[in-house]
Amino acid sequence: MRFTTRDGLRAWLDSLAKTTDLIAPRDVDGHVLYRPVAAADEVLLEYERPELSAKTYVLPDTEVLLRIEKQAQGAKLEELLPDRQQVLFGLRPCDAHGIVAMDALFLEQDPSDAYYRAYRERTTLIGMACSQMWDGCFCTSVGGGPTDHTHLDVMFQEVEGGYMANAVTPKGVAILEGMALEKPPKGPPPAVGRYAKPVPLMGPDKWRPLFEGDLWMRHGERCLSCRICTYVCPTCRCFDVVDRAVGVRSGVTHIERIRVWDACTSTNYRRAAGGHNSRPTKPVRLRNRFFCKFCYYPEDFGRLGCVGCGRCVVSCPVDIDIREVMQEVAEAG
Amino acid sequence: MNELSTAIREKAKELLESGQVDCVIGYEASARDGARPVFVYKPADAGRLVWNAHCVHNLVTYLHDKKKPQKRGEDPPRVAVVVKPCDSRAVNVLLAEQQIERERVFVIGVACEGMEGAEGEMQERCGRCADRVPAIYDVLIGDPPIVDPSPETYADLAEIEAMSPNERLAFFLRQFDRCIRCYACRQVCPGCYCSTCMFERDDGLWIDAGIELPQKHMFHLGRALHLAGRCVECNECERVCPMGLPLSLLNRMLAREIDTLFKHRAGREEALSPLLFELGEEGSPL
Repeated sequence: MRFTTRDGLRAWLDSLAKTTDLIAPRDVDGHVLYRPVAAADEVLLEYERPELSAKTYVLPDTEVLLRIEKQAQGAKLEELLPDRQQVLFGLRPCDAHGIVAMDALFLEQDPSDAYYRAYRERTTLIGMACSQMWDGCFCTSVGGGPTDHTHLDVMFQEVEGGYMANAVTPKGVAILEGMALEKPPKGPPPAVGRYAKPVPLMGPDKWRPLFEGDLWMRHGERCLSCRICTYVCPTCRCFDVVDRAVGVRSGVTHIERIRVWDACTSTNYRRAAGGHNSRPTKPVRLRNRFFCKFCYYPEDFGRLGCVGCGRCVVSCPVDIDIREVMQEVAEAG
Repeated sequence: MNELSTAIREKAKELLESGQVDCVIGYEASARDGARPVFVYKPADAGRLVWNAHCVHNLVTYLHDKKKPQKRGEDPPRVAVVVKPCDSRAVNVLLAEQQIERERVFVIGVACEGMEGAEGEMQERCGRCADRVPAIYDVLIGDPPIVDPSPETYADLAEIEAMSPNERLAFFLRQFDRCIRCYACRQVCPGCYCSTCMFERDDGLWIDAGIELPQKHMFHLGRALHLAGRCVECNECERVCPMGLPLSLLNRMLAREIDTLFKHRAGREEALSPLLFELGEEGSPL
């Protein structure tokens, strides 16, 4: 564990921004978002939880997979794999946890997802510990914590006069090489300011018998079938793949095959050819979102599909609160 | 418990007990937001209903979920819905557009003193509002408050209109750029009920599925235009937007234009938007 001053951190971020794609928390018209930055003075060092997770930097909301040129005989395909290195700085521990949760599906299966793998291999995860748990946060109930460095390459934590720097992985050690580091000041790092009340976490065995329960009607009927909860979520990873016409240039038709985010809460998610929709109502769609997180994903991929960031809690326009659902599942007979 | 909550509960209980309606859509207490939508089916559950300064949601949007029979061969359910004056205008729009049947909807109108925003202040739209009694109701709960609305100056629009066209485009693109295409603005809107939204077609005829600036730009302008003369200015789209897009600027600009051109404010009475007409036997009225 080493120490750097605020100026030392900023100088290091400036040098990173010159040599690699640096993504960091930024103030975007009053909204704190992980966004590309060109210099350290654009980076927020004091912020709460960015309003969106960082997942779009490993699973882009819109990703061109193939460029397709239609030819007289067949078609020419060009695969577009990412080739640039990127550093995600200022990640909250839950956002790093979310990326590792997605790894279980995209990396740890055979075959793995070539596009996701290319992003992951070129990405360094640098965290900033939370000084407290914010509105809606419940990371400590799902295996995380405000200062949990488990899923990061480097973790920073603010202390008196600067930041403690903890290189967690060899990649983390390497990236800290250019930083002016000092011996840490004496004394323990500051305590986390506010812990949230724990929420009971139940396993698949508890969830499965509740599939037909009235819980889903009670919470799901007021659902709007929008996509807020899934799009702000650091672990929701459903996508759709569609082709789009780009245009005709010099007599050649150009098409792109794109991967875009999709959401199980949306009306048409389960609509099949012929028009049948196996999840035709709001309650059954909402049930799927919760079952995915606490039953299906753990069973199929060995990880929880929820990291307790609380974004769905604070952004739902009709107060569908995942913590309330977890509580009711725990209390169900 | 306030008097309005008690009156809403009593009415709901009576409607459910007498079998006049199958469901009452109202508000229940929420620890987080103060109030949230609730669907009450049993007289015994009527006690869940509340009325307070956090009943911001426009519940009329849920009537679309009640248009079809719950079981094959049955009639569609009869529903009571709790409305504020702004929400009630959406009832009129849906009646005019033949989306709901008058005899299947019981409107519990509440005399409204305005709703609170996130900081406890009165919402801006409520400060401007001159309608303290719903435009349509079967029962009115509460006494109409005497409130002087602040005069409508359209100062927000004037600020935008003072910009050059290029500045204005840059302003809106900067706002649209934050959009995540979650469709919350569309989903919450009582006036957005197409079974297949033109912006979400499988064939991507108008815009493709990409979550990129050109698609967002097209979507937001299209959404606003499709509500021209139909938007009741409940401002739910702006409230639910997780990225704080100033959608009321677009809606209010169109509402003002339609008012100026056609003397029409959506939902003040049961009438179609002047931009829509029915093709009758005699053909187009234009």
